[in-house]
Amino acid sequence: MTLCNCLKEIRVLKGLTQESLASAVGVTRQTVIAVEKGKFSPSVKLALEFASALETPLDRVFWLEETIGGKA
Amino acid sequence: MTGMTRYYLTRTVVSAAFGCLFAFAASTWWIGALAGTIALAFFVWAPRSGRYSVNPELGATALRRDEYTQVVNAKAARNAFVTTTLSVAALIIYFGTISQGDVPVAAVGVTLAVGLLTYLTSDLWLRRTLG
Repeated sequence: MTLCNCLKEIRVLKGLTQESLASAVGVTRQTVIAVEKGKFSPSVKLALEFASALETPLDRVFWLEETIGGKA
Repeated sequence: MTGMTRYYLTRTVVSAAFGCLFAFAASTWWIGALAGTIALAFFVWAPRSGRYSVNPELGATALRRDEYTQVVNAKAARNAFVTTTLSVAALIIYFGTISQGDVPVAAVGVTLAVGLLTYLTSDLWLRRTLG
């Protein structure tokens, strides 16, 4: 299973910059970039904080996708 | 007062205290001034470095390593530990079998330098690849 997200799309939709989202959640801009690119999987706490800052349900921001040919 | 203004004001106080501590410990004012300046330079650089998140409401501990930085630091530390261990093993094997004799102190310094270099290189590389 792969953790996917549409953090960037929702952030842009809400009119937030990476810097302002990072500031709202209390992380660095580099963390936001890494999560948006899918190169870093945040903890449950951080994922909930992102969802809360974006005022969006968690499962609309992050979800799991079956990896083709991968392990379940 | 904005959050960052508060941060810079408190960091200036912390840097001054740091400088005073060094001045009293070293008994020379210029060492204190140098230590205070270095500390202040670090506090100015830190929020821009992308390595620390700033939480001014936390006062003295306003600088925090966030989750991503902790992951990068942990991986870099693991790499440094492995290379240092391998360097020490290589030294022991070399001076124990090939060139039998005491291990020079300078060689131990080299292994520590290898570990430090690995840590810094890994940190930079991981930030490029993970971010």
